[in-house]
Amino acid sequence: MEIIKLDHITKQYDDGFVALRDINLSIESGKFYSLLGPSGSGKTTILRIIAGFAEPSTGKVYFNGQDITGLDASKRHFNTVFQNYALFPHLNVYENVAFGLKLKRTPEATVREKVKDALHTVRLDGFANREISELSGGQQQRVAIARAIINEPKVLLLDECLSALDKRLRKEMQFELRAIQKKLGITFIFVTHDQEEALAMSDEIFVLNDGQIQQSGSPVAIYDEPVNDFVARFIGDSNILPGEMIKDFEVKFAGKNFECADAGITPGEKVEVVLRPEDLDITAPEKGKVTVQVLSQLFLGDHFEIKATGAGTEWLIHSTNGVKIGQEIGLFFDPEDIHVMRLGETEAEFDARLESYEGDGEGDDE
Amino acid sequence: MRKNSLLGRIYFGLVLVILYLPIFYLVYFSFSSGKSMDHFQHFTWAHYQTLFADHRLLAIFLETLMLALLSSLIATVIGTLGAIAINEMRKPAKQRLYLSLNNILIVSPDVIIGASFLILFTALGFTLGFASVLLSHIAFSVPIVVLMVLPKLKEMDNSLIDAARDLGASGWQVFSKVLIPALTPGIMSGMFMALTYSLDDFAVTFFVTGNGFTTLSVEIYSRARQGIDLEINALSTIIFLFVMLLVGIYYFISKRQGKKAKGVGGLIK
Repeated sequence: MEIIKLDHITKQYDDGFVALRDINLSIESGKFYSLLGPSGSGKTTILRIIAGFAEPSTGKVYFNGQDITGLDASKRHFNTVFQNYALFPHLNVYENVAFGLKLKRTPEATVREKVKDALHTVRLDGFANREISELSGGQQQRVAIARAIINEPKVLLLDECLSALDKRLRKEMQFELRAIQKKLGITFIFVTHDQEEALAMSDEIFVLNDGQIQQSGSPVAIYDEPVNDFVARFIGDSNILPGEMIKDFEVKFAGKNFECADAGITPGEKVEVVLRPEDLDITAPEKGKVTVQVLSQLFLGDHFEIKATGAGTEWLIHSTNGVKIGQEIGLFFDPEDIHVMRLGETEAEFDARLESYEGDGEGDDE
Repeated sequence: MRKNSLLGRIYFGLVLVILYLPIFYLVYFSFSSGKSMDHFQHFTWAHYQTLFADHRLLAIFLETLMLALLSSLIATVIGTLGAIAINEMRKPAKQRLYLSLNNILIVSPDVIIGASFLILFTALGFTLGFASVLLSHIAFSVPIVVLMVLPKLKEMDNSLIDAARDLGASGWQVFSKVLIPALTPGIMSGMFMALTYSLDDFAVTFFVTGNGFTTLSVEIYSRARQGIDLEINALSTIIFLFVMLLVGIYYFISKRQGKKAKGVGGLIK
């Protein structure tokens, strides 16, 4: 069921800077969404418009079919977890969490009950009487979540709220956020610039750049089928090679013709080919589809990052086994590992083309 | 290093002695019998006894205190709202203009301010007295409060306001439950500064007091012109102790608040 809809939203600031250009998106209830993009891509602006802290220059925001574009933030059924948590320093944990309920003049006994529940949900039992300054970053984060969920919002908005935590804690909080979302069954809209975070947690991701939605879809769809250069580069590492479509299911790049899984493109059209570094398997030179020479190798703990040159280009390879620098190796990949991108193709055109040769493909995310 | 710090300590001690010597000199002679501060004769409470018998002086003391409390209270309200208004201004140029107008009042000599108030009040046909002194004290205290509150506003995390609205707070609730508590340290120090400025102001008050009303500083001045009376020493001693008490209270309050508000806005260490 659709709960929030942004309809042709644009945002231009007084100084002429355009933050958002024609944003259309639809949010369903009970799902975990991510707005993913580099800084300055407009993701936080979208969140602020949904929350009611900013007004769009043009366009409308709908909640359950009702126009809420001009509605004050205090009257919307959403709550926000802020980037720096924005906990009230003059109140302790209990008072912070109870803030929203006390504004509504909830009876004291109910407040106490609900605060206890909320603190239990974020695993901070027994922290009620602590001062905010006594808490660690991760604990402050949890208090901010408890404070936001106590009003039982229909939608929880999270603004880069994990970015200040260290890596281990961030991973832990990712699991917990996801668990909290499942438990409450409400919609989460999560803003992040960290693609790993978005891939790990979301049901659906909106990739943003330059004030526009570049692509939306499930994490797997976005990772496997990036619609353009930007998405391919931003989500994960990739080898992007210039190529040419020979015919349906056959593409030419790196000086050779390869079987691929893409169709519906005019033969002879110039395209870009994306190969994920972890899809490249290292084999003996004679067994590979291309042969390359190893330039450098970095050990990253769980895998090696190998740079190699060959077939007229440079290759990035992730492998669990190391190689020797200067060694000749073969690279093997399956037809499904090759992803062909048309230059300047929009998401809608991409979905339509996918539909045309896959029948009812997995692109039905609306 | 050690030698250096010893030298430093001697220097520091010397400065303190020079700063506090006149006050201790005053305090010392408040216990001396006799009429002048030439040399200490023998210990006596006599000056304190005459002080407490001097109802006129005590009344002036209380009036001065009331004036200071009232003017600093009103100035704190006006100044805090003024600081919020200046902070809300969108255009930096406008903000700078108002801030400069504010600072000019602090920098300009009291004599000028006092004289201009005198001219204003006489031009308006305003009777000089408690009201005129109160008004002028409020006027020179407001800029001080603005200057103390504004930094707190600047360093406050604006998302606190967003967070309060997000949780359903109305405009008034945001103001009373989030903005004012967050500014309290600044408001308190502003009020304290206004209080001390009002208590010890001489120049402005001298211009705008009429016949019926006088403050301690003006009274002491006029008495001192007829020759120093050791009763004044006794009064100064009491005021000195009173101010020390005030500073102590202020220190205690700010220390407690500092402990509570460490990591303002929930920022992470």
